[in-house]
Amino acid sequence: MSMMHAPQLGKAPSTAHVMRWVIAATLPGLAVMTLYFGLGVLSNVLIAALWAVAAEALVLRLRHRPVWPTLNDSSALLTGVLLGASLPPACPWWLIGVGVIAAVVVAKQLYGGLGHNPFNPAMVGYALLLVSFPTHMTLWAPPQPLWPDSLWPQIMGALPTSALDGLSGATPLDAFKHKGEAVMASEFWASSPLPEGTLAAWRNIALAWLAGGVVLIAKRLISWHIPVAMLGSMMLLSALFYASDTSHFASPLFHLLTGATLFGAFFIATDPVSAATSRRGKLLYGAGIGVLVILIRNLGGYPDAVAFAVLLMNLCVPLLDMVSVPRPVGQATARPDERKSAP
Amino acid sequence: MPAYEFPGGIYPPERKERSNQAPLRTAPLPDVVTLMLSQHTGKAALPCVNVGDAVNTGTLVAHRDGMVSANVHASISGTVIEITDSAIVVQGDGEDRWATLPPLDWQTAERDALLERLDESGLIGLGGAGFPTYIKAQVNEHHAIDTLVVNAAECEPYITADDLTLRHYAADVLEGAQLLARLCGAAHIIVGIEDNKPEAIQALQALLTVSADSELLASVTLKMIETRYPSGGERQLIKKLLNREVPSGGLPADIGVLCHNPGTLLAALQAVRDGQQLVARVVTLTGDAITQPGNYWVRVGTSVDTLLEHVGVAREQLHQVVVGGPMMGAPLTSLEAPVTKTTNCLIAATKEELPPAPAEAPCIRCGACESVCPAQLLPQQLHWYARAENDAALEAHHLFDCIECGACSFVCPSAIPLVQDYRSSKQRIRHKRIETAKAEHAKHRFEFRQARLAREEAEKKARRQARLAQQQSASSDATGIQTAPAADLRSLRIAQTAAKAAVRKAEKVLARAAAQDPQQHHDDLETQLATAQENLKAAEARLAEARAASEQKEAP
Repeated sequence: MSMMHAPQLGKAPSTAHVMRWVIAATLPGLAVMTLYFGLGVLSNVLIAALWAVAAEALVLRLRHRPVWPTLNDSSALLTGVLLGASLPPACPWWLIGVGVIAAVVVAKQLYGGLGHNPFNPAMVGYALLLVSFPTHMTLWAPPQPLWPDSLWPQIMGALPTSALDGLSGATPLDAFKHKGEAVMASEFWASSPLPEGTLAAWRNIALAWLAGGVVLIAKRLISWHIPVAMLGSMMLLSALFYASDTSHFASPLFHLLTGATLFGAFFIATDPVSAATSRRGKLLYGAGIGVLVILIRNLGGYPDAVAFAVLLMNLCVPLLDMVSVPRPVGQATARPDERKSAP
Repeated sequence: MPAYEFPGGIYPPERKERSNQAPLRTAPLPDVVTLMLSQHTGKAALPCVNVGDAVNTGTLVAHRDGMVSANVHASISGTVIEITDSAIVVQGDGEDRWATLPPLDWQTAERDALLERLDESGLIGLGGAGFPTYIKAQVNEHHAIDTLVVNAAECEPYITADDLTLRHYAADVLEGAQLLARLCGAAHIIVGIEDNKPEAIQALQALLTVSADSELLASVTLKMIETRYPSGGERQLIKKLLNREVPSGGLPADIGVLCHNPGTLLAALQAVRDGQQLVARVVTLTGDAITQPGNYWVRVGTSVDTLLEHVGVAREQLHQVVVGGPMMGAPLTSLEAPVTKTTNCLIAATKEELPPAPAEAPCIRCGACESVCPAQLLPQQLHWYARAENDAALEAHHLFDCIECGACSFVCPSAIPLVQDYRSSKQRIRHKRIETAKAEHAKHRFEFRQARLAREEAEKKARRQARLAQQQSASSDATGIQTAPAADLRSLRIAQTAAKAAVRKAEKVLARAAAQDPQQHHDDLETQLATAQENLKAAEARLAEARAASEQKEAP
């Protein structure tokens, strides 16, 4: 009897179901981003998704694992979509391929596939691209029409680097970071450093990601612990910085509504596989990401920092899992009983 | 009194309305019953009838073996037609002649008489674990009990047996609670019931209001709790009602509480007041493949097939029959299986109703299991260790605190049969423990043999001495026995007292071990108890011999 499966009463949403919902919840963010930055956003996502599925299928084949059932869980597809959504518009196909292979093949499948990867695959791909191809990865053009002129040559990678520079703009985070010590924040904003509408574009995109995230939490597909802890610690720490020196540090609201903050809080940091598992662990994990993001943004060398913060906190997960063990009912302490674990 | 919270828990579909609409009915008398020898925690009962014997309803057919075991009675009148290693089969004569015991008044009867009655009647916990009630009723010899909890939460989906029992027998259940409260010395009785049973609550409330001034019911409190699985778990209910936490590896008795199921209380009262042995119980028959779902009084040993036939089963739609609830129950492998004393529910399910589990996917460490675990364990961590058969880590992470409620499996998005893994891990670890204890067990068996031989020798000597004493022979100094100096009576009396204490201690250890882990075999502890009993008999025989000898000396 004991070897038989217990009956199934009703069904919990399956892993595949969760993954597909997360993909669906990226749609508002992607739509608003496309609206402001053109079809290059969608081409990124599509190309990344294709690469991801192809790479996953290939590795599964080489590992002699069932291909279709695994692809069906949509986890590779999600990794592709999230990595694609993180990239500047209209990245060349080969660049996306490099990132996706790092994400799906190296960060995920080489560690044993879904459930075994210690690092967030999409962020491994993103970080690799950021340090390897800084020219392409900082190419955030100002808001542009739906169908920009150089879209096709850009995707095909046919545009010379000199032409790329011409397209380049700066993200608000980037611009503020490089305003220079001598320039006060008030002077900086008075000089209208960004093209008309850039701030509003980033804010609206951030709010669209927030909308998708709220749907996921409302449908209980992700738990609130990580986003709330991450955003909370970001707001708190950035407020402290801001209070200490309003002329050189950005306000909490600026940190919240620009860059990858909201996208990262709801779609990246919540990857369950590479996050802490217990509720207390998730709070610590999220808070750690928030602290690192602000530290790197305010004191470090990168304008945005979600990818690095997530990867660094991924490193801390085994430790967090150890210190956040709940106290089992009836036990005096939360600590595992080491006497019993002695061989 | 405020309600407290236990951690975790889930809200599965209840599906109780399928079986709680009809009143409690009685299933027809079966033609044949198969009485399992092991329907309870502990050792199987030993048959005490032969093939061909005529039996009445309530005739003892197998008596308990050892302390943790229970009597089995014929549940219909007729003839014993088969005795196998595991069961006794009785062919009924359709007359249902009863062999009841003399009625007792629980308020005036001796405590020992009541305990003996519970033992004689084969009473065990009807909620599922099947622990012998007479042992549980004596627990106050080692622990002070202040509260008796009537566990009427019935939190598993589908099951409504306790609900219907309370609707029809509220007064009897409360009287049974008072009987057991008297035996265990509990001053308070709390009925814990989920708020999804309004009729049962009404029945209890009506009773408590009408007899508000009655001294008897003054100790009874009714407490409604939120419907959340698994609030009917003993530890969860105690936390919820009393805000007390049963220590890990401990028992509710350790914190002054005893829990009983309403069905058990009713059966206890019937055994005492009416002299009825435990031969029938209320079973919920439900599921989409049944046309007349409901609750039925069913004779123990009735085959599942016969029962399903009676309530109209659509066989072409029948996918599986689950014994117990859908969360903790198990699918039946054969419809020929009989109803036992612990069968509280049979679900004849269609495929749409309880679909087979989907294929298992890898764990994505989402932590959903951890947030619903009422024991506050780390199910996903235990999952990894269970798959790696890392028994040391499993025990360090308190695998044995898992109550196997199935909440983790229920919420797992990867459809991992977590509880299944934990159960087989527990079994593997138990097996290992038994293997390591084998040498110890052999030693205890040897000690038992020595004790038995010593007892026989002592008894032989005592008999001889008694004979000699009777003869009042004058030439007594001729025999070898009397040449030995008469044993010091005082030291023999001390030895006898010590032997008595050893028996009581062995009983306590065994009762505790069996209650803590009903699924483990406790043969070794039973052997140790038997050894202590042999030693006691030997000490008594020696004392008797010495007394006879000293009398004889004084006589001439």
